[in-house]
Amino acid sequence: MEFTRLKKWGNELNICIRCGYCYEHCPLYRESNWEIDTPRGKLLLTYGLLTGEVEPSAQIAEKLFECFYCKNCSRSCSAKVSPTDILTDVRADLIEFGFKAQGTTVKHNEKLCIACGRCVTVCKSEALSMDITNTKILVDKIKCKGCGVCVAECPVGAMSQKLGFGISKEELYAKVESSLRSMNGIPKVIVFICNWSINPGLQLSRMELTEEGDSSGIIMTLCAGRIDPGLILDTFFQGAWGVMIACCPIDECEHDGNYRAQERCALVERLLDVLGVEPQRLKLEYFANGEAQKLKSALNSFVNAMASLGPI
Amino acid sequence: MKIDIERLKHIVGENNVKDNIADLYVYGSDSSVHEAIPSVVIRPEKAKEVQEIVRYANTGLIPVVARGAGSGTSGHTVPIDGGIVMDLRRMNRILAIRPRDILCRVEPGVVCDDLNKALQPYGLWFPSAPESGRIATIGGTIANNGSGVRAVKYGTMRDYVLGMKVVLANGDLVTLGADTRAQASGYQLDRLIVGSEGTLGIIVEATLFLRHLPKFRAMGIANFNRLEDAGETISDIVASEVTPSLLELVDDVAIAALNKTLNMNLPQVEAIVVYECDGRLKEAVDYDMKTIKEICEKHNAFGIEMSSDAKEMERIYSGRKKLFAALSRYREGFACTSLADDMAVPSSKIAECARLIHEIGERNNVVMTAYGHCGEGVLHTKILMDATRKEQWEDARRAVDEVYNYVRSVGGTTSGEHGIAISKAPSWKKEKADSLQMMKAIKTALDPNNILNPHKLMDAPDDWVTATKLRYPVQL
Repeated sequence: MEFTRLKKWGNELNICIRCGYCYEHCPLYRESNWEIDTPRGKLLLTYGLLTGEVEPSAQIAEKLFECFYCKNCSRSCSAKVSPTDILTDVRADLIEFGFKAQGTTVKHNEKLCIACGRCVTVCKSEALSMDITNTKILVDKIKCKGCGVCVAECPVGAMSQKLGFGISKEELYAKVESSLRSMNGIPKVIVFICNWSINPGLQLSRMELTEEGDSSGIIMTLCAGRIDPGLILDTFFQGAWGVMIACCPIDECEHDGNYRAQERCALVERLLDVLGVEPQRLKLEYFANGEAQKLKSALNSFVNAMASLGPI
Repeated sequence: MKIDIERLKHIVGENNVKDNIADLYVYGSDSSVHEAIPSVVIRPEKAKEVQEIVRYANTGLIPVVARGAGSGTSGHTVPIDGGIVMDLRRMNRILAIRPRDILCRVEPGVVCDDLNKALQPYGLWFPSAPESGRIATIGGTIANNGSGVRAVKYGTMRDYVLGMKVVLANGDLVTLGADTRAQASGYQLDRLIVGSEGTLGIIVEATLFLRHLPKFRAMGIANFNRLEDAGETISDIVASEVTPSLLELVDDVAIAALNKTLNMNLPQVEAIVVYECDGRLKEAVDYDMKTIKEICEKHNAFGIEMSSDAKEMERIYSGRKKLFAALSRYREGFACTSLADDMAVPSSKIAECARLIHEIGERNNVVMTAYGHCGEGVLHTKILMDATRKEQWEDARRAVDEVYNYVRSVGGTTSGEHGIAISKAPSWKKEKADSLQMMKAIKTALDPNNILNPHKLMDAPDDWVTATKLRYPVQL
């Protein structure tokens, strides 16, 4: 087996000093806490494959297909090594060798699919296409970045991701529920935060000074494009006074998830209006990376606004 | 070595033990040049689990290597004899912050910068976080007696550990130290554990002394056309009545690497000095900054910039912060290896040492840089070389020897910050020749079966190049 595509990254793998700074904001590591789920771990594995120290296997292929391409790793690397570019090439090699890994790429369920094609139109990575002859959605696993935008867009739940690392559709619903349950203070506000734009709070440690658990109401989503209208409505039904969605500024989202969030928020606002609920209880805000202070003041004013509105 | 995986799974649960080749391989290296594969990786969450694991390992004579972020540069967590690698990052709870006692209690897996983030609302601060504080854990920083850029004023980890809970090699849990700063006579065993690199016990909890966050900070940057002028400036600042909270040197190699890798547009001079002062009174900080500026000017500094604006200070310091990795791209085909990377010399020798480092690099066909926390005498000396060529490792071996011979000759020390482990052990053993037997006796008394991080420090192999497989694709 020759890793024809990976080969060209040999020098980059030597340039990586394995300092580990890349995993500080990695959503996979934050969820699993295993070194193999860090970008450094994945680079090590690819190095092992390239040098022959590690034999390719189904398990390794599966691991290397796990990444949401948020690229926080590339951004934090002062040596300018890009783990995601290397990953894309090793994936192509592994597919050529015949490995059928799924990882965090999306899966299409033919039985549920109504062939509306909405998933194809929202996929910025052009990983999805429709086979016209039998109206089947084809997934290009090398192009799929696991952003989850299509999963949230599909009206019939035909798109899914096997691995969510805490931010799959089901996990987000569960997090909303547990977050609202543990919230003692008022007003009850849920904030969905995009991993790409803002990383608030403690990254890898836990505060155990109180027994109430995390009651901040901040839920990381990786990309605002993962939030479907049902999740927003469910958050209100669960008792939230307000919902804020923080996403990347216009034109800066890797997956165009902010556009999807705009469309979905507009839809939910109309629904809230019909239901007699103040539409301002839902707020979409844009933050560039590093704008933690801006987030803090936006959050404060939103919380104050919700406090004056009171519960629904 | 036979390891009962099922027994380990029984202790920590099935999901916290890995023995497949993929997981083992990624736990086989850190940020050093070394590589060795463990037999099993285990993630305990409680002190009791650590005790059970160590007790089992002691009976079975299985090596146990405690690991935090794996950001060490000398091979501390590289399991040279295989065995158990114990990843302590699940023990990541901040247990208590006690502002009235100016202390906190934390588990070893708490990340240094996270701790500082948690302390901020209390107006408190843990100043000994290393530059890698974004991922480096408290446990690893204690085990290594790490420090950071502010050690020049605030000292190293040893100054902040009031006490700790440690699991010994026989599995016993001992509580060392007290919640007070003053602790009189008697063997201060908590201080012994600091810097022991996981060879005497496994830290499962630490009580740390804290500081109040300074109300005012100001930072300055000065350019020098001659490295000697920058060195003299640093010596004069250290010898003056001012104690800066940060005093850093960046040499021409480092400047070139930053400009090339990160388009920093720094002036291509022989040296840049970055300094910072902090305190409770703005006037006092300004006065100290003025004094340092005058010292810089006395030694022909130019382009001096000073600011107390947070954003501006971040900009001034950003180059230094990103330097370590940026050096990797200094020259096509070169890699940045952490060798002889953190010696400390008396501050009056900084300029001489920095100049010599460049000369040693040149005559041994490698590129060496000299930058670092010069205020406390620490110089970071990466060796930039083609790590895929066998001859370059011979060159590096000679260069490392020459650097350390000089360091010892002027009363310096092998490692001021990053620790000894494998890479620096040969020189360190020469430096500590008189006390090696004492250290071996302590190790034998506390770990008679030599299971805790074996073959590090005084037990490390005499040739660092062949001590383990190297992490680069090179056949020696």
